[in-house]
Amino acid sequence: MATSKGTNNYNRQQWESAEFPIACQTCLGDNPYIRMTKEKYGKECKICLRPFTVFRWCPGAKMRFKKTEICQTCSHLKNVCQTCLLDLEYGLPIQIRDMALKIKDDIPRSDVNKEYYIQNMASKLQSNAVEDNIDDVSGSKGEDSDLLMKLARTTPYYKRNRPHICSFWVKGKCRRGEECPYRHEKPTDPDDPLSDQNIKDRYYGVNDPVAAKLMKRASAMPKLEPPEDKSITTLYIGNVPVFITDDDLRDHFYQYGEIRSIACIPRQQCAFIEFIKRADAEVAADKTFNTLILGGRRLNIKWGHTQGRRHTDDIASMHQDGETVVKQSKNLPLSLPPLPKDLQNDFFNLQSESIPTIPPTLSAPPILPGFSAPVPQYLNHRYNNFSDFQN
Amino acid sequence: MPKIRKTKKKAPEGWELIEPTLEELEQKMREAETEPHEGKRKVEALWPIFKIHHQKSRYIFDLFYRRKAISRELYDYCLNENIADKNLIAKWKKQGYENLCCLRCIQTRDTNFGTTCICRVPKGKLEEGRIVECIHCGCRGCSG
Repeated sequence: MATSKGTNNYNRQQWESAEFPIACQTCLGDNPYIRMTKEKYGKECKICLRPFTVFRWCPGAKMRFKKTEICQTCSHLKNVCQTCLLDLEYGLPIQIRDMALKIKDDIPRSDVNKEYYIQNMASKLQSNAVEDNIDDVSGSKGEDSDLLMKLARTTPYYKRNRPHICSFWVKGKCRRGEECPYRHEKPTDPDDPLSDQNIKDRYYGVNDPVAAKLMKRASAMPKLEPPEDKSITTLYIGNVPVFITDDDLRDHFYQYGEIRSIACIPRQQCAFIEFIKRADAEVAADKTFNTLILGGRRLNIKWGHTQGRRHTDDIASMHQDGETVVKQSKNLPLSLPPLPKDLQNDFFNLQSESIPTIPPTLSAPPILPGFSAPVPQYLNHRYNNFSDFQN
Repeated sequence: MPKIRKTKKKAPEGWELIEPTLEELEQKMREAETEPHEGKRKVEALWPIFKIHHQKSRYIFDLFYRRKAISRELYDYCLNENIADKNLIAKWKKQGYENLCCLRCIQTRDTNFGTTCICRVPKGKLEEGRIVECIHCGCRGCSG
């Protein structure tokens, strides 16, 4: 039986044989029970052109049968699924993942060079249990793995497994009708750049239209602009879970720089954090905007307003007395609202003549629990007067 | 030209009554064999062959077992001359296989996972109201 695929091994490179495919969740499909056929040396790898074990399965009802397209060696080198050639961790095209994680992978592409390289890598992979490139990819979780996490899908995308478009139906000549397993839908626009994709380009991370589309989407993602007013170093943090304390926030934000103050308002589910340096605040904003998840919730980071205007409700209620509102000029820090007339010249707090048994600082208004920013004494006094100050 | 006889014996009585229908079926089979393959799938070209083969065997089977219109002698003669397929008729005598389309569809060795053809699944069990034409003989469901 010299004609069987396994016999002619004399002086041949060892053809690859595997026990189970390297496949991503979407490719395997929604059904936990899959029947898979295994064909030793069934096809040649689309990248390295060596024979390899082909696995073929049905990823769900009304889906086309999928099979492994590249060999396990090629898939290990790039840490991708053997069928869809997308990253196993993020499900993103190789080009995007390499760009974000700054992986420079020089796999040669021309005939003999490529064969030599792949052959070496294959024997290396077989001898060590540890694959080299996998370390590179998963070890360096740089900052941009944040970007990848944002771009990555969270749920499997089964539309990829749909059957191809029925070309007979497109011409109006499909004789199979209801029974036709191919899709009777309008084909995609041939001008669309996404329609000419090439497996080699996708694998080597060059010229991939899907990657280009994702990059455009990435750059169009909402960005947090630093405010023009250079003295603002306060960040507003929304969607803070109730059990998060000042210390939790401090623990996280101290890495960006020295914190001047933290004010946590659990009732409003928000917090304000003020840095000493503006640069630190900007770094913090960039790093945490749309990224930071504390206590299971994604925090909504925005820039705060200046010191005196932290609570806009506050300001509104303070002006309800019909006092003169000082018009704010554009670039100067906003001034504190004016005092009521009887307190305006009371620099030494002489009005309340009796010496209070509890110094004013300690009688911090119970209305603002945890508000630890240094509040000047006369403001304390004023807060006590306002019943409609709401939290 | 008249069909080649396998045995030297003459046809038993009753042969003249069934001969015209059989001759018609043979004619149909010849046409199916010589049809061009244009516009058909590779497998689809063979479907009429299986269909006519089933029809021929069905005719003889019905005559003998259902209508009892021919003698055992004539029936055996037809089986020996390979006018009807005796293996297929043997299946029709079993419970559940009365309407079997062809012998390929119950051959589990032909499938990847050792199952029978999809046309053997009863329509009640086949959800989605989907229409199947099996690849072997174009059958749309031969059980249930």
